[in-house]
Amino acid sequence: MNKEQFLSQLRRSLSGIPEEEKKEILYDYEEHFSSGLENGQEEEEIARSLGNPRVLGKSYRIESLLDEQRGGHRASNILRAVFASLSLGFFNVIITIPLFAGLFGVLAGLWAGAVSLAVSGVAVLVGLMLQPLFPAFIGLGGLSIPFLIFAGIGISALGLLSVIGMWKLSQLFFRMTARYVQFNLRIIKKQEVRA
Amino acid sequence: MNVQFKKGVLELCVLVVLCRRDYYGYELVHTISENIDIAEGTIYPLLRRLTKEGYFTTYLRESGEGPSRKYYQITDKGQTYKEQLLTEWNHFVSSVGNLIREEATA
Repeated sequence: MNKEQFLSQLRRSLSGIPEEEKKEILYDYEEHFSSGLENGQEEEEIARSLGNPRVLGKSYRIESLLDEQRGGHRASNILRAVFASLSLGFFNVIITIPLFAGLFGVLAGLWAGAVSLAVSGVAVLVGLMLQPLFPAFIGLGGLSIPFLIFAGIGISALGLLSVIGMWKLSQLFFRMTARYVQFNLRIIKKQEVRA
Repeated sequence: MNVQFKKGVLELCVLVVLCRRDYYGYELVHTISENIDIAEGTIYPLLRRLTKEGYFTTYLRESGEGPSRKYYQITDKGQTYKEQLLTEWNHFVSSVGNLIREEATA
């Protein structure tokens, strides 16, 4: 293993450690390599005596986890979390909330359409049944009774289908909204957890 | 020698060596690995932890070529900690020594 391979393996096994800390850790080994080279050692020889970079990475990760538990919520972490939620909040206000409101409006409009379709279908049928009782108030508009019956059934069925469709669509909409909120919460929490 | 045991002893060794003067990483690692057989890389996590705990401070100094070297300097807190570890170590060694002598004479 040469210097480059050693450092990249170490870098990979340091995942989860904050970037600035990662840089500091890697710097120590880079310095070690260059001092060794100045002393006439070969890269491979230096890497060999340093040991397994994955094992080293693990010990840094464990140390970092312990630090998180010991340190708890340091001021800088809390500040970072506040910043994260603020910038997230800004994004939400500018983009997400208008988008949400727009989609909500569209959904409400479609609901109104579906419901009125179903209601008008039923109204045609009810009107047909009541027509013999109130001939003065309900006119057939010159259309035949069988046509009106079928039209009534057809419109009601179409309305019912639309309502069912809207139900599914609304479920999807609210599921996505819930997921987005969770995503937001996760980001904020993640910021808090970081050491 | 058992790895965990070595790691504990390594802490004491690093403290003792740094009591003499300031060392930079490579130099310190070599001084220790000349005497104790250990994966040299494990000294850096140890140095980092002890520095975080306030036993050492670090400063950078230019070297002829390559990146500047990070030197480690022991603090007063580090001195006290070393004394404490050294006392524990001496006690441990003499206890083990006693036990061995008792076994030998029994």
